[in-house]
Amino acid sequence: MSFKRFDTEDIVVSSDSISSPAWSNNQVTLTDFEVNDFQVSGSSGQYYWNVYQTGSADATAAIQFSIAYGHIAGSGSTPYNSLVPEKTPAATVYGQFRTLINGDENTDFKFGDTTPDSVFFISVERARFKEKILPGSLTLQLTTNGNSISLTDNSLTASVDIYKDSGREYLIYSGAAGILDNTNTVYGKLYPDIGVIVLNGDQLETSNVVGTIDLTDNPTPYTNPSVLFNALDTFTLRAEETLSSNYIFVRARNSEFNYSTNPSNITGSGELQHSSMIDTPQSYITAVGLYNDNNELLAVSKLSTPLLKDFTKEALVRIKLDY
Amino acid sequence: MGYLNNAVVTVDAILTKKGRELLARGDGSFNITQFALSDDEIDYTLYNPSHPSGSAFYGEAIENMPLLEAFPDENQIMKYKLATLPRGTSKLPILQAGYASIVLKQGASLAITPQTLNYLGATSTFETGGYTAQIADTRVLSNFTGVGINTEEAERLNNTTTVGTNVSKTVIGTSINLTGTTVNTLFGIRTQLQTTITLVGRDSGARITIPVTIQKVNN
Repeated sequence: MSFKRFDTEDIVVSSDSISSPAWSNNQVTLTDFEVNDFQVSGSSGQYYWNVYQTGSADATAAIQFSIAYGHIAGSGSTPYNSLVPEKTPAATVYGQFRTLINGDENTDFKFGDTTPDSVFFISVERARFKEKILPGSLTLQLTTNGNSISLTDNSLTASVDIYKDSGREYLIYSGAAGILDNTNTVYGKLYPDIGVIVLNGDQLETSNVVGTIDLTDNPTPYTNPSVLFNALDTFTLRAEETLSSNYIFVRARNSEFNYSTNPSNITGSGELQHSSMIDTPQSYITAVGLYNDNNELLAVSKLSTPLLKDFTKEALVRIKLDY
Repeated sequence: MGYLNNAVVTVDAILTKKGRELLARGDGSFNITQFALSDDEIDYTLYNPSHPSGSAFYGEAIENMPLLEAFPDENQIMKYKLATLPRGTSKLPILQAGYASIVLKQGASLAITPQTLNYLGATSTFETGGYTAQIADTRVLSNFTGVGINTEEAERLNNTTTVGTNVSKTVIGTSINLTGTTVNTLFGIRTQLQTTITLVGRDSGARITIPVTIQKVNN
């Protein structure tokens, strides 16, 4: 009498892809890059630098991404043990991302025909890239001593999507917002599904858009992530996520839901307050409750204004339920 | 909580506390199969059958009312359901539980057998589908079960327990058994605990809410 069962066609599941700015406060482009001195000079700073959108002491400061430096032979960072000079944080980082991305410890990072020794890894904070980086949204501007380059991915022009162990892989060339200047030099690779950008450190150094990578076992200042950090000029990125929604169609036929059990509508013994409501009842829908078979209220939706219902009217309400 | 913008029709739904609990449980109990409509917030004394402009304006004071947003507490929303009844109905079903309020001592038990008045042409009847009983704070009762409806769902609801904070519990039956908690720590410095039990006729949709008080007797 008060509950009506849904038909199978009344409940529809829809998945929509939503893109949004990646950075905090819905910024599309980061122009200010800050680090926490305590973090970069601490033990974790040998592996990665966390980059904030504002001074890390600021209440709104949030990690936007991290920069890590890896070396194929472990150079460029202090060995864990001087008797084993090739085992360093730079080697650890290189191996970590190699396993993550290539899934094969016998491979190296290759960009076109070259296998660089130095590689930079940008890991976008998970909360920033949400589900995945939106391919074609990347523009990374690097500037050092007046030399500048803008980098973007080739997702908009690639004829096929390449899949690695970590999902899709796109090549990074000079260009902006997915529009390539040329495809002469591969500067890096984008892995949108894990929120990682891999940059060819040797090539960036050769192009003079980053400073000199210190390959000694005691690099200064701090560690080699600073080489890429100091070259950051602007960084544009968007995130993408899939939102699955249930669309539920609530249909009240003309003969249904016309009487109200509202206490202001009935007396204590159940009689209608207004005699005119006996033959021409009117009710006002303000809320729709969604129930399971046990009459447990699982979700509820309020209308923005009361919806008049009587024997001459039918109501169709579309409800969107996200979870 | 704020007023909804009444310039647009808003139809986004939110999960209730119970909905989140069942979703987290992941046992298939979060399965939307039916709906109900309610007119919470409507004051029918605003309905004016003597309006000088005629019947089209009887509900004028109601129809322009801005509505509040939905509450996630399943005990505080969908209180007054709209009913499907034959045209010409003059009396709506109402529930009678036999108690205006319930006071139980710790460990004491009580059985409630609700009846529905003005339903299916009968002055008083027991609904064949039984009654849904929902205790707003399940912690205050050590036993809260429904008897008389022998379905798989009713059995599952009787055996469902949620450990933790004050979530509601729903059972189904023609008769509902309650036993006051014997756990002293729930009382803190208080001498009694209070909550509500809401009974809903599964066939009629008629509803009644009764205050429940558990009195501390143990030291």
